[in-house]
Amino acid sequence: MPERPRILSVGTAHPPDRYTQDDILERFHTDSPAVKALYKASHIHARYLYLPEPGPDGRPHETMSELLHKHRQGALYMGERAIRRCLEPLGLGPRDVDYLVVTNSTAFMLPGLTAMFIRHFGFREDVHRTDVVGMGCNAGLNALNPVAGWAAANPGRNALMVCCEVNSALYIDDDSIGNAVVNSLFGDGCSAILVRADPGDAERLAPRILGFNSHIIPEAWAAMHYRWSEEHGRFGFILDRDVPYVLGTHAEFPVRRLLDAFGLKKRHIKHWIIHSGGKKVIDAIKYTVGITEHDVRHTVGCLRDYGNLGSGAFLFAYERLVREGTVRRGDYGVMMTMGPGTTIETALLRW
Amino acid sequence: MQELKTLRYTEEGQVARVELLRDTINMRMVRELTAVCDHLEDESEATIVVFTGAGDDFCRGIDFRDFRPDQPVDIHGFNKWEKACVRIERLPKVTVAAMQGEVRGGGLQLALVCDVRIASPDAVFQLPEVKSGFLPGMATFRLAKYVGLGRAKRLIMQCPEFDAHKAVALGLIDEVAYDLDEGVQAAIDNFLPVHPVVVQLARRLLNESYATDFENAIGNFLAAQHRAVTQTAFLETLKRARQEDGGGD
Repeated sequence: MPERPRILSVGTAHPPDRYTQDDILERFHTDSPAVKALYKASHIHARYLYLPEPGPDGRPHETMSELLHKHRQGALYMGERAIRRCLEPLGLGPRDVDYLVVTNSTAFMLPGLTAMFIRHFGFREDVHRTDVVGMGCNAGLNALNPVAGWAAANPGRNALMVCCEVNSALYIDDDSIGNAVVNSLFGDGCSAILVRADPGDAERLAPRILGFNSHIIPEAWAAMHYRWSEEHGRFGFILDRDVPYVLGTHAEFPVRRLLDAFGLKKRHIKHWIIHSGGKKVIDAIKYTVGITEHDVRHTVGCLRDYGNLGSGAFLFAYERLVREGTVRRGDYGVMMTMGPGTTIETALLRW
Repeated sequence: MQELKTLRYTEEGQVARVELLRDTINMRMVRELTAVCDHLEDESEATIVVFTGAGDDFCRGIDFRDFRPDQPVDIHGFNKWEKACVRIERLPKVTVAAMQGEVRGGGLQLALVCDVRIASPDAVFQLPEVKSGFLPGMATFRLAKYVGLGRAKRLIMQCPEFDAHKAVALGLIDEVAYDLDEGVQAAIDNFLPVHPVVVQLARRLLNESYATDFENAIGNFLAAQHRAVTQTAFLETLKRARQEDGGGD
């Protein structure tokens, strides 16, 4: 059997400025009691964001081109740090990377973030690259699947996956509760992992990626989507209030299929690395997959400290798990991300 | 399932019986309880599990012969026991402890993780650990929820022995059954029909209720309720209600 690819390193980054939910409410002079209540009930303490100065009316006024500029600058700032923090512990630099994959859903760019990162960070000109765009919060695992496949097919070579989202470059500010839900939830963040299939890494306490299982719910395709707003001349994000329940109904299926494929039971899984989608989503996963508050401690912790970071969020939780030092050789872990489609993606790891 | 030496496992219809063949708990019994949980979770169609003692006593606590006074005590053994207890506490089945004779230490801890506790009039109860210089496991966590903090302190720190009627008065057990088999059968009948997923969710929310603030509890409840109402049991209830209504609005 060929060597399985391993996740050898993880690095994360966020914008320099941190805002509590109260800071944001104050900054933009939010008076609506309903919106304030929403922010307070989010189970988010703080987020790192690129926020504009309020206009004369106390509200943010960023043009579409300003948002795109912010997106680009934010992606460069965070991308450089996350990539460096991922590669440096391995003694690697951008020139050592053979395959670069970047996930992003917060702006449409052409050329995409891979090209921008290569230009700015010194990757080789013969680096393979793939941009995974428009897949939302689940994209990290949609991208990890081909990354792991590429790594397995190219033993000893370095695949770098970067999940980079500047959520503060995509918002509509009005008095609607729907937009307030979105604006109270998402944060900016970028995470990177290095994946390699190399027998020489066998001594490292680094998880092998054993397999994936996906689940899409086509009838819930509109539960999360970008919608063009004529009024504001930009995209806004629609997040249906039933999302937690749709995910809850289906979450057990991919997990069961993933574990069945390896003859495992839920009790064999020591570590759950789950996307910090929101408090209700985490609750739904807890009670349908049947896992404990302890199992979701890093998912909940990342939601509290960063908000929902989109595609890179689960790697922030992964980084906390690794740093916690509780992982032992032989432990199994399940990664789980969910997002638009509506879709649930899972991966099985073994340390 | 592996060969069992400390337990006898039988299954008849919806009811699985786990008889404790030893009157004290040793590490082998802990391992076998875990194996029984594996079987119950993975293969068994039973919806109700009855824990009972095979001899005159339900269980007199841990077997000190497992320990060697000249060697350091292995704390991991205690951890394995607690893990087995949690497995039983979270089984997707209704669990019944049917107790006779002595119910001490680990025996009483085992009863506390079951959903209902029934004892014959001759049963005597005690958590003797503290006077023997150690702790009565996670009874330190669970007991107060059944009997209140003040009584739990007395039961754990003074180690009194008390009878089945006293145990009912304390809220520690649910019922004294003059015929234990009949009492168990009545308890089983009271639980039917068992919807395993819903039972598991209800029990989890109840167990979490002492450690969760309302804001978190309501979120947990809604997630659990959503799971419950998407199960067949609730859909059947809706269908029946409609039929009884004659299908009208």
